[in-house]
Amino acid sequence: MTTETPPRRFPVGTHPSADDPRILVHDDYEAFEPVPPYPPRTEREAEFYTLGEGELLLNVGPQHPSTHGVLRVVLKLEGERVVDIDPVLGYLHRGVEKLCENADYHQTISQVDPLEYISSLFCEWTPVLAYEKLLDVEVPRRAEYIRVLSAELNRIASHALFMGWFALDLGGLTPILYSFIERDEIVEMLAALTGQRMLFNYFRIGGVNGDLNHEFMSRLGDWMSRATTQIEANIGLLNENEILVRRAAGMGVMDAETALRWCMTGPNLRATGVPYDIRRAHPYSVYPELEFDIPTKTEGDSLARYLLRAEEIKQSLRIIDQCLERMPDGPIMAKLPRLLRPRPGRAWAAIEGPRGLYGVYAISDGTDQPFRLKIHDPSFLHLGAVGMLLPGNLLADTMAIMASLDPVMGGVDK
Amino acid sequence: MTALSRTWDRLTLPGKALAILIPLLLALTIGLVVTLILFGPFLWQLILDNLEIVRFVLASAILLVIFIPIAFIVIYMEMKIIALMNLRIGPERVGPWGTLFSVVHGLKFLLKEDFIPTRADPIVFTWAPVVVFSTAALSALVLPFAPGLYGQDFNLALLYFFAVGGMTVVGLLMGGWASFNKYSLLGGLRSAAQIVSYEIPLTLSVVGLVILAGTLSLNTIVMQQGVSGWFVDWYAFRQPLGLLIFFLAATAEANRTPFDMTEADQEIVAGFATEYSGMRFAFFFFAEYVNVFIISAITVVLFLGGWQAPFPVPHFEIHVDPGQLGMGLLFLVALAPLVGTLLFAAPIYLLRSRTRWWVALIVGFVLFNVVVGGLAFLWAYVSIDWVAGLFWFVGKTFALIFVFVWMRGTLPRVRSDQLMAFAWKWLLPVALLNLFVTALAVIVLDVVQA
Amino acid sequence: MDRALKRRLESRFEPVLRGPIRQRHDQTEIRIGPGDVSEVLRTLHDEPEFDFKVLADLAGVDTGREMQAVYHLWSATTSDWLRVIAEGLPREDPRVPSVTFLWPGAEWMERETYDMFGIIFEGNRDLRRIYMPPDYTSFPLRKDFYLPDDSARSPGAGVRHVERTHSPAGAPADVRREVRS
Repeated sequence: MTTETPPRRFPVGTHPSADDPRILVHDDYEAFEPVPPYPPRTEREAEFYTLGEGELLLNVGPQHPSTHGVLRVVLKLEGERVVDIDPVLGYLHRGVEKLCENADYHQTISQVDPLEYISSLFCEWTPVLAYEKLLDVEVPRRAEYIRVLSAELNRIASHALFMGWFALDLGGLTPILYSFIERDEIVEMLAALTGQRMLFNYFRIGGVNGDLNHEFMSRLGDWMSRATTQIEANIGLLNENEILVRRAAGMGVMDAETALRWCMTGPNLRATGVPYDIRRAHPYSVYPELEFDIPTKTEGDSLARYLLRAEEIKQSLRIIDQCLERMPDGPIMAKLPRLLRPRPGRAWAAIEGPRGLYGVYAISDGTDQPFRLKIHDPSFLHLGAVGMLLPGNLLADTMAIMASLDPVMGGVDK
Repeated sequence: MTALSRTWDRLTLPGKALAILIPLLLALTIGLVVTLILFGPFLWQLILDNLEIVRFVLASAILLVIFIPIAFIVIYMEMKIIALMNLRIGPERVGPWGTLFSVVHGLKFLLKEDFIPTRADPIVFTWAPVVVFSTAALSALVLPFAPGLYGQDFNLALLYFFAVGGMTVVGLLMGGWASFNKYSLLGGLRSAAQIVSYEIPLTLSVVGLVILAGTLSLNTIVMQQGVSGWFVDWYAFRQPLGLLIFFLAATAEANRTPFDMTEADQEIVAGFATEYSGMRFAFFFFAEYVNVFIISAITVVLFLGGWQAPFPVPHFEIHVDPGQLGMGLLFLVALAPLVGTLLFAAPIYLLRSRTRWWVALIVGFVLFNVVVGGLAFLWAYVSIDWVAGLFWFVGKTFALIFVFVWMRGTLPRVRSDQLMAFAWKWLLPVALLNLFVTALAVIVLDVVQA
Repeated sequence: MDRALKRRLESRFEPVLRGPIRQRHDQTEIRIGPGDVSEVLRTLHDEPEFDFKVLADLAGVDTGREMQAVYHLWSATTSDWLRVIAEGLPREDPRVPSVTFLWPGAEWMERETYDMFGIIFEGNRDLRRIYMPPDYTSFPLRKDFYLPDDSARSPGAGVRHVERTHSPAGAPADVRREVRS
């Protein structure tokens, strides 16, 4: 009696892998291309995934050393030159807006906290501001000052980190670790104030969660005494580096008109010469009482964006100084009921974050949960503009230009 | 017959292997002994007649082996120095101050899965690291480490060095092409473009030196730099521009920061090495650091006096004749460690009452060894020529390696078009200018002296 | 509240406005039909009288009865945020003209709104899903899309399935919460 093994058959167009014969591998090389396996949905997609003469598609991410989170970008290259770019989002999408619609007003603050995990105080500030408009609440002045103080500290932490990342994407290993010194000190003192190092969950509707305490103040005073020299030294580490300056200058240039049309805000817009800062353009909180400048640059390239953030750090230090000087006494929370039921209505609140305009559009239907909460994040739009900035640049500059716009994927993907 | 086959069937697999291997080894040993008895003198004569060839084979074998520890040392240096520049601690767990870190790193590579991507070309993929590593090792054959300590000295050594060193690009291109990965391909092509461009200023920058030296033999070039014994004889002071160009171009040749376009991890992940793992990747990895060592070594040889000391070391001799002691020698060898250890341990134990006696003994033994080792080195330095040479050579080379590591710690990366522009618009004209000025000076000096 | 802006808007957009201009805090709100969006926004952007250069936000809203596209604009000529609401989009087939001809950056915001609400922006050349996977068929932020743990909204219903979104053609949508504005 003989048992015949049936002849092994592989589907047409496949062969067994050399490593593991049980695994079938496609014969055609196109199987390895980053082309979506379905017919194009829009004319733009059809155009992008049609290759011209001498062009190739390069898939960057979501697991790439320098995509700043989980971003996938499909690049169309001609040699090393980028012809076109198609960012693919959604790897970090958590549906925060939907979650907020099913949480009550207090809970939404902790829901939006992890959006921009680099500067989460600003994420909290926008919904809080919008709810206060819905509820017609007057926030105590001390609370406003504490908000400004902590938020400006967070802005410095965010910008300091940006500088390190930017240098890292240009190949410099060291600056990131120096910039983490700044961030770490600030984060530690905010932890003393709020209780957490990263997702502070500190702002409340009508005030803040806790008053200034001794540890925070001593840490802050300690840091402020050497912040200026330390930050100057860190900036000098990069600014005086000829290679970095030569590379960043003229990289990813855009003019004011284009930046406005691409809905850019924040430092990326101010680097093109538009002095649009919501703290001045549309004042909120106690910013009208404080003195500070809106630094602008006219070059609109990566170097300008980088230098502008360095300037903003200095302005933030000024604001912190004034906040400490003028800090009034008084309560830190407005008197509000535990369960908030705002009248039906709509409110829009926008603030100036380290990356640009953070906005929240809240609709109340009279219940204790927001009917609709639209979160506007600047990183999302800045990343959208990458498609306009990149073509024509070299592959080497792709990540650096993206880094110079400073997107945070947590905010982009919501 | 049946009994034999039954016994054979009862054996386990290792038993079967041994049953074959042991008779085979026996037969081979007997054959070897018989051959040696019959043809021994003749073979010995053969070796003596071809001493140069034997020496060359031995030298290449030793160099191949010795490059692994050298790579370990350079990797450890880089980890530790960059860590200190970054305000980190760096490796510190494995061995004292983390010195065994890179050894463990290498062992880890051995244990990793040997992996070939699905659509890769297995033959080219497998051979690429071999090519890269062997070119690095081959080009070191002509390096004079110390007087009398070199693989081979011949009159075309410098040319040979550049020719073999330029072969690295073949290996990188092989790895990049065979990996079936676009990042690898880009990395391989980048390295090809970069190395081919930088070969030209690299070679041109030493032509001025060759005009002055009148030879391509590295040994002779080192000799010429030690005429007066002072460092002013070094070619660095007669060819400063040449040194500068050579150093920059060599940095690009070795794919080091700021010219490490081929493995720019922010852009193309790991370049040609993206798909490699395990020992194949280790070969690329080691070859990179061996290249750093070799580039530093050739710079030292050409411009910084090779194994010559920077100043004339006062000449003195230590006359030690152990034979004079007679039986005393035996007592010295037996007693000196004991007495020395006790001598060093006693004050520690007596002065610090909290120290355990065995801790004091260990510390005393270590101190004794340090002192004796220092004395032995001093003796070797003044008595043996190549120890002194090797000391200065290795010292200078590692000083240069430190410069490379320093650059890696501080500089960002340049862009590929800037890299090319720098090579063709700056380095090449300056190298030509250097050559022209040197030639002119030589002619003018000849005329003046005549 | 900027009364002057209200007057200017009333005089300029009288024929297309649906309902009165509302003002609250620092926001001015006008409501228009979906057909007038491109014309109104072009006027607001181009005319020096208004000069709304900054499109701060583009949001979709599902009121439970209809769809809305909401634009927030900023201008140096006024201290108010201007909210333009394009209302009256049918839930079955919401369509509104794209504003990418004014602000190319709105492309991604429109993609997001399409992804979340299914509002089709006519004229956007890249209107595909941006967050959700391409083979996804629901629109998560619509009011008839329930989360599995959405029991607070439906005490008797308990846990519902996620993918219950598209009602069969003709059947009324299962909307439990709506806002009257």
